Amino acid sequence: MQPTAQDGLRMPRTVRRIRTHLPSSPWLFLTPGLLIVGGFSLYPFVSTVVNSFTDARTLIKGRFVGGGNYQELIHDAMFWTGLRNSLVYVLGVVPLLVILPLLLAMLVQRQIPGITFFRAAFYTPVVASVVVVGLIWVWLLDDRGLINALLETVGFGKVGFLSDPWLLLLSAMAVTVWKGLGYYMIIYLAALANVPRELHEACAVDGAGVVRRFLTVTVPALRSTMVLVGALSAVNAFKVFSEVYLMAGPTGGPGGEDTTLVMLVQQVGTGLSGRVGYAAALSVVVFVITLGLMLLVLRANRREDA
Amino acid sequence: MTAGHRERHGDRAERRRMPGRGRTPRWRLLLRYLLLLAVLALTVGPFLWQLSTSLKGPGEDIYRYPPSLIPGHLTFGNYAGVAEIIPVWDFALNSLKVAAANVLTNCAGAALAGYALARMRFRGRRTALVVFIMAMLVPVESIMIAQFVTMRELQLNNTLIGVLLPACIGAMNVLLMRNAFAGLPYEVEEAAFVDGANAWQRFVRIALPSVKGTLAVVAIFAFMGAWDDFLWPLIVLSDQSKFTLTVGLNFLHGTFADNQRLVAAGTVIAVLPLIVMFACLQRYFFRGVGEGAVKG
Amino acid sequence: MRTSMRRSRSAATATIALASALALAACGAPDGSGGADSASGKVEGQVVFQTWNLKANFKDYFEGLIADFEQKYPDAKVKWVDQPAEGYPEKLSADAAGGTLPDVVNVSPDLAYPLAKAGMALDLEKSAGKYRGEYLDGAWKSNEMPGMKGVYAFPWYLNTGPMFYNKELFRQAGLDPAKPPTTYDQLFRDAKSMAEKSGRKMAMLASTPSIEDFGRYGVRLMNPQGTEFTFNEPKGVELLQHYKELYEAGALDSQALTAKAESAGRKFQQQAVAMNPGSALDLENFRKEAPSLYKNIGITDAVNNTGKANMYVQGLMVNAQSEVKPAAVAFAHFVTDKKNQMAFAKEVTIFPSTKGSLDDPYFTEQDGTDATRVRVASAKSLENAVNYTPVLLSDQMKTVLRNAVARAVQGKQSPKAALDGAVAECNRLLKTG
Repeated sequence: MQPTAQDGLRMPRTVRRIRTHLPSSPWLFLTPGLLIVGGFSLYPFVSTVVNSFTDARTLIKGRFVGGGNYQELIHDAMFWTGLRNSLVYVLGVVPLLVILPLLLAMLVQRQIPGITFFRAAFYTPVVASVVVVGLIWVWLLDDRGLINALLETVGFGKVGFLSDPWLLLLSAMAVTVWKGLGYYMIIYLAALANVPRELHEACAVDGAGVVRRFLTVTVPALRSTMVLVGALSAVNAFKVFSEVYLMAGPTGGPGGEDTTLVMLVQQVGTGLSGRVGYAAALSVVVFVITLGLMLLVLRANRREDA
Repeated sequence: MTAGHRERHGDRAERRRMPGRGRTPRWRLLLRYLLLLAVLALTVGPFLWQLSTSLKGPGEDIYRYPPSLIPGHLTFGNYAGVAEIIPVWDFALNSLKVAAANVLTNCAGAALAGYALARMRFRGRRTALVVFIMAMLVPVESIMIAQFVTMRELQLNNTLIGVLLPACIGAMNVLLMRNAFAGLPYEVEEAAFVDGANAWQRFVRIALPSVKGTLAVVAIFAFMGAWDDFLWPLIVLSDQSKFTLTVGLNFLHGTFADNQRLVAAGTVIAVLPLIVMFACLQRYFFRGVGEGAVKG
Repeated sequence: MRTSMRRSRSAATATIALASALALAACGAPDGSGGADSASGKVEGQVVFQTWNLKANFKDYFEGLIADFEQKYPDAKVKWVDQPAEGYPEKLSADAAGGTLPDVVNVSPDLAYPLAKAGMALDLEKSAGKYRGEYLDGAWKSNEMPGMKGVYAFPWYLNTGPMFYNKELFRQAGLDPAKPPTTYDQLFRDAKSMAEKSGRKMAMLASTPSIEDFGRYGVRLMNPQGTEFTFNEPKGVELLQHYKELYEAGALDSQALTAKAESAGRKFQQQAVAMNPGSALDLENFRKEAPSLYKNIGITDAVNNTGKANMYVQGLMVNAQSEVKPAAVAFAHFVTDKKNQMAFAKEVTIFPSTKGSLDDPYFTEQDGTDATRVRVASAKSLENAVNYTPVLLSDQMKTVLRNAVARAVQGKQSPKAALDGAVAECNRLLKTG
């Protein structure tokens, strides 16, 4: 029914013939991309992996220590705190970032007077500098900030958004979602344009309401995009750094309780006396976990498809 | 819901008619605007604050509580001040060069790779896909120094090409393009194939025009990525004459005293091109597959 | 404070930096060899001179300086590069790894230490020991590195600062704005009474104690050999116990546990806390950014138990692999000599590290303005000031300490247990290095 087959599994036979027509060309198409990502991302990462088995410092070449760094990591309480926070972040942020930007995209999709302005305005959080964004949110959520002032006037009392570890993490998530709205909105906008109008109209004629049309037409047609947004936002959420850093401070909250894995990598590995070896081990763990997340999402998608 | 398509028909009369279209009651439109305004308040706040700080004259209390959004002594002096302290136009030009090149390389490279991954069948396709996924996941921070050493071996340190190269085909953009191509109906290309078009012709004439929306997204992400990047250009470049805007604007954070107004003005200068770029490209989001593909 | 502000801002970048040492093999000459001989040759060649975020405001000063030097040594040329505030350690890491470190580099002692340890900084005791007498003793020694012989950077400009306090908040809390606390006991008492009187609405301080606060309190931070940290000694526990009580009483800002230098400064400018450390430079800042605070600003000496103020030192390091060592050493000395430092001090309120400079009337005579009062007081305190922050304390160790302090202050751990844990962890990190 849907013409948007994702995989070779459902392709018409003629299409397969097209693909075998020019056997050499796929690699011609792929070479530039593979060269760049291979040469400048994957190849250097090999040295990170090698480093993770040494006790290297920023300026000092390391000695081989076997799995020492990985062993240390398992006994490092901060690592587990970081892992917990990063996972909590993924769980908290991803559902919102899959749904809300889609709704926003549908809100601005319609051509009504002034819509260009609104679209550009909704995109500003994406382009605004993180530091500025951090400042404004800290100001809003501060003990003497706007939101607490409002809460006090309605008799609710102050809420320690920026002093309680869990509320800090939640506040950071709010900023992530807020900044992600515009970002994922435009991915959805581009995809929404692909939903054949005829389908909507057919539905409308059937008398289907907005909600039903959304569920029966838009969502199925955008499923692959939603999966992609889910995967991207999951990876980004797992690797969150700036928002937590700006809200919870360089130590990652009171006593480091809001530290995320990437913050830990930064704390451990930066500076001229950074422990590069240990930080590399942490990076490898981050890489493996995000790869797992990504493959999990893509696999789940394919299974549903079949 | 898909009224956006109408824009491309260029039918002014129809567009003018739209708000009052029979099927859409007025209250719905009103609701839509109310929603838009609510989201607007939520999203542009920070930017207004920054804009307002950048327009405040000396002697105004920028830390006042509660803060005021309206500058007491409106001035554009801070913008002139930025240009006085740093060669802001030279920096902007460098940034523009890198960002424009980044847009071209990303659109071309990601489209090519994405097309192959989505529309061609060959041994190693899955592996190629996994390679891109893995590349996307490599923590950039952990490889920066190794990247710098590579650049030095290529004699590209302290050049704008060195700034451009590592991100000139982003793995995420490849995945975005793959997703877009995968969504195209096969029938279209089939027709072209019957007409005897080869893979290149099908890619350039049929597939590419059908994914303009996603190309625009890639263009925006690529431009923004290059424009905002700080640490990598800082590490690659040594001569101030080659600095990009983000690096250069950092000089506004004085060693001994921060002038928040100048910093704010700098931020506004840095952000404006991005918003303009977005405003220009956004119409492409509404010209997707419906057009070229179905017609063809 | 300036140093720490720059460091923390460097970390405030959205991006994060993590260095890889793999590529270092190529350039890791084991010690700052070459010694006196290679540094005492003819002054010629091109010297690359790197400052840290000084070009925007002091372009004319440095260009004049370079012209003077090139006139004095016609065979030498100086190429000046300036790096922005953020990301400086990351830039140095990459340059060190790629073998592109400039000849003369602006560093603070905590940056000089790892470079010296990796053999990338020239031992100046050996190559330029004859100049030693020109500098303040404390300043020269601030670039001595534990576990290594020698001195690895010329001392350059110094900074120190008073405590600023908000007279209006003092008044509101029923404290005498003319009598700011001068001892720790008074400070703690005033802070508690302020919190009590205002019903926990007004806090005295914006942050928890950092390593230099421990130093100022008279805590011994390390053993004399520089092999172990000792800030868990009873005096340290005592200080932390005081802060725990302050936090419980509401005398610390509620966000003190996550504060950084900038956010503490902002709290003070927003008049949310009553006292904050600063430097002579901040006064001008307050006047411009927070005029209503400026009207009520009070200035007092930072409290200490040791009789020695804390100071921040910037230095100039000479690259041990430089191909123009004689010229590099000559230029680094030239920039930091008495005349040129004095000229720099008149450009901006910093303090020269050269002997006798602080006796200049500019640093001793009052003219009735607040700015001069702060400058004179700071200059006086610099005569025997020390840099309390041990160069061995890496950023990661600072985080360990801050987290331990936060746990103790919240009552999740006793001050003693928290500091014992922090010392053990820091010592472990020290040994793995």
